[in-house]
Amino acid sequence: MTARLRELVARVRDFFQRDRLSAELDDEIAFHRAMMARDRTAGDEPRDEGVGRRFGNTTQIREDARAVWGFAWLDALLQDARYAARSFARTPAFTVVAVATLALGIGANSAVFAVVRGVLLRPLPFPEPERLYLASYQPPEIAPRMQISMVGNDFIELARATRTFSDLTTFALGQSTLTGVGDPVRLNTAQVSAGFFDVLGVQPAIGRAFDASERDATGPKVAILAHALWRERFGGDSGIVGRTVLIGGVSTTVVGVMPAGFAFPPDQSVWMPMDTRIRPGMQMRRPVIGRLQRGATAQDAQAEIASLAPKFVPDPTQTEAASVARVFPLERLLVRNAKQLILVFAGAVLLVLVIAIANVGNLLVIRAAGRRHELALRTALGAGRRRLFRQLLAENAVLVGAGAAIAVPLAYGGTRALLAFAPAGTIPRGESVAVDGGVLAFTLATAFVVCTVLSIVTAVSQRSATSMALAAHQTRVTRARRATTAFVVAGEMALALVLLAGTGLMIRTFAGLRAVDLGFDTSRVSAMTIALSPRQVGTAAELHAFHHDMLGRLARVAPGGTAAMVNWRPLGLFQISGTFRAEGHDGSPGFMVSKPAVSADYFRVMRIRMLAGRDFTERDDAGAPPVAIISSAVASRLWPGENAVGKRVSMSDKPTAADWISVVGVVDDIHQLEVRGSTVPAIYQPYQQVTQPLFLAQMTYLVRSSADAGQLLPALRAVLRDVDRDLAPMSLATMDDLVAETRQEPLFQARLLAVFALLALTLAAIGVYGVLAYSVAQRTREIGIRMALGARGGSVVGMVMRQTLFLAGAGLALGIGGAIAGTRVLNRFLFSVTPTDPMTLAGVSLLLAVVALAAGAIPARRASRIDPLVSLRRDGD
Amino acid sequence: MPMSYLVRMPPNKNELLRGTLDMLVLKTLAAGGPMHGYGIAQHLQRVSDEVLRIEEGSLYPALQRMRQRGLIKPEWRETPNGQRARYYTISAAGRKQLGESASTFGEMVAAIARVMGTA
Repeated sequence: MTARLRELVARVRDFFQRDRLSAELDDEIAFHRAMMARDRTAGDEPRDEGVGRRFGNTTQIREDARAVWGFAWLDALLQDARYAARSFARTPAFTVVAVATLALGIGANSAVFAVVRGVLLRPLPFPEPERLYLASYQPPEIAPRMQISMVGNDFIELARATRTFSDLTTFALGQSTLTGVGDPVRLNTAQVSAGFFDVLGVQPAIGRAFDASERDATGPKVAILAHALWRERFGGDSGIVGRTVLIGGVSTTVVGVMPAGFAFPPDQSVWMPMDTRIRPGMQMRRPVIGRLQRGATAQDAQAEIASLAPKFVPDPTQTEAASVARVFPLERLLVRNAKQLILVFAGAVLLVLVIAIANVGNLLVIRAAGRRHELALRTALGAGRRRLFRQLLAENAVLVGAGAAIAVPLAYGGTRALLAFAPAGTIPRGESVAVDGGVLAFTLATAFVVCTVLSIVTAVSQRSATSMALAAHQTRVTRARRATTAFVVAGEMALALVLLAGTGLMIRTFAGLRAVDLGFDTSRVSAMTIALSPRQVGTAAELHAFHHDMLGRLARVAPGGTAAMVNWRPLGLFQISGTFRAEGHDGSPGFMVSKPAVSADYFRVMRIRMLAGRDFTERDDAGAPPVAIISSAVASRLWPGENAVGKRVSMSDKPTAADWISVVGVVDDIHQLEVRGSTVPAIYQPYQQVTQPLFLAQMTYLVRSSADAGQLLPALRAVLRDVDRDLAPMSLATMDDLVAETRQEPLFQARLLAVFALLALTLAAIGVYGVLAYSVAQRTREIGIRMALGARGGSVVGMVMRQTLFLAGAGLALGIGGAIAGTRVLNRFLFSVTPTDPMTLAGVSLLLAVVALAAGAIPARRASRIDPLVSLRRDGD
Repeated sequence: MPMSYLVRMPPNKNELLRGTLDMLVLKTLAAGGPMHGYGIAQHLQRVSDEVLRIEEGSLYPALQRMRQRGLIKPEWRETPNGQRARYYTISAAGRKQLGESASTFGEMVAAIARVMGTA
């Protein structure tokens, strides 16, 4: 084997020294010839009849030697490639269309592959990620979500007793402001329990993880920074460990920096220790992640959680709805939502590639027909069929190679654009998406497949082209080829229709989401949300005063405007929901309610319909009798047919006499959590009667005025600056924009599918045009005869357009079937429209038909202008 | 079994001839020292009593092949007459190859002779 290798090395070396070797060989032959001539004249050697012609063919010797020096096939290939390039240069229109088509098809696929690979194929960047599971113990109707899986106290119990998990951890997500290093910046922070880094199996790249003393709330304040934050804000300072920074106004010591690319939980910048101790009555749920013992299975873990459940601190609010123990692979959870979406895009982009191949294949067939004279000439000059075929293969390789070369930057840009335009969270693990060696290999492999398919097309069409060159059964071959290309174009249109239908459905979904009556009106409302850090959160009374002051200042921002506030705004990141008690009902009423704390005028600012009773006023303060406003769903479920105003509810589970709250009003139900879901029943309280500081730490201030909501935003920001210079708003936007944000994902899906669909439509249009133009060119003579015999331009146009209609009809018939079968994959992304929505199908079919007819109109027009004299003089094509 | 040499013969006739030509060239260089292409051809013709005539069209590609495989080493030198010529010297690898070819060839000739009943 090594001898083989050595020979190959020598061969490669010689290949690059061919010029020198060739010159030396020439010298050597010249010497040989001179010696022979000398010997002959000297008569030393007996003359024989062979000597005279021995050196007749120096070229032959050189050719044979050349075969030794290098790679004859490579030489031939380069020659073929040069010939191919020249041949393409003669037909620039064909070449540009074909290369662009291939580049788009291959490039789009490479870009989507980069995403598929980064998100779905690459293992999580943790050792043995398949052993990581989310442990959950919650009511079965709650979907497994990263945000919550287990009550904090249950986690402690589980962590203490587990035998199936080698380690368990929990964490809580938050936001905080980093000050003192450039402008104040809001950061995503994660408070993590002991063992967090052990469970994941990743340790800080610089410094260390938290130690036991730091896990105590009373211990020193410490933090570990994300690599990106360390690079951007601290210039990659190698002496960062031990440095003190201000996070949420608290001086915090940096103890470590995580390695680059570590992103768990996703998008975190700072990790801080969490104090995990049993807190009686604490029902906060948090995600719990565990690493299974080697050999333990998910079933074991599930059974263990179930068996430990009786020991868990009972939840007083939890009545009959029993929790169940379940575990979910972490890997699946992280990409759960994205997986199907990405696969849909992969499918869509694959369809585009198929259309691209079909298109170029058709163009090649048409081109081969046009070149049959050239091929016949070359055959006559002695080129064998194999040689000609090799030439055509080289042409395909050049074509696809050029397409693939352009596809690489397209894929790079496409991937970047995809990640940039995707709304946050749509494509998780974005940091591991890159156009790298793996993606380039995919591009190459795709190019190879495309080239192979095109070569098969070429092989088939060449056979008919050469036999056509013999002009024997020309008509038959032409007809067969026309049928094939027509069929391929119909197929292209069908695939384009599937993509168009998908796009149409997503657009209708987006429109459907826009049409939802949210129960509130966001126009002309500006919103500013703040979150006070633990340091700033004082007593409830202090918070009441702070918010009251803010509200007073904001009310003066816009003349004639109204200001109000709510602690967790509708369609925000989360809502506080909980159980409650109602007068006349034993135990829990059996459903949870959203519990917003609001100011007076909140319903007026949000234009939530007041159905009965009164609004809150400034007089409903801490000292006044407690009051509540309930939404109509609460009223109708608790007291059907009765007047709810005057009834009493309580937020406490075992209400004492002082805990009862009088209902003073009923408002309409609104979409508190999401646009897609249903409205959520709610019990509103005046903020001044909410006594838990936690529920007053975050607040969204709303201002409605006759002014443009966007123009008011700087004034809102200025008010906050006057009150607290170091407080950065968590968000500052018009309510319209905040609501629009919730529709970003379907909008993104619709846009991306639209890009693919338009690409497909354009390619299909080119396909229609190409086939008809070819057909017209083939029938020039026939059309000429018809016109000579009196056919009018109009009837010729009609003839071509009938052909177009036939093509479009076949494409639509195939495509509608395909769309009905194919758009089902979109089902879970759709809203207010079914996958087989007839309106959508009809609309996109019409669009496709119009485009097809437009593409056919150009060749039709050309056909009508054929000059009978010219066409008849020409040799029949 | 001696018969097996016949079976092992390369299917391509040229391959066999090529191998034989290489062997003859190597033998010539091993016996006669450094030689140029013309000299090799002349030597073979003379030694074989004019039976073997080497086509230049075969010789020079063969020399290139053997050079590439490291069996012979070329070197430009002056001839006794003061002309520039490329002399070839057999290398260690060439000698090894020659030994192998020669024994194979010997066995084959003997086998053929036995088959033909001339041994």
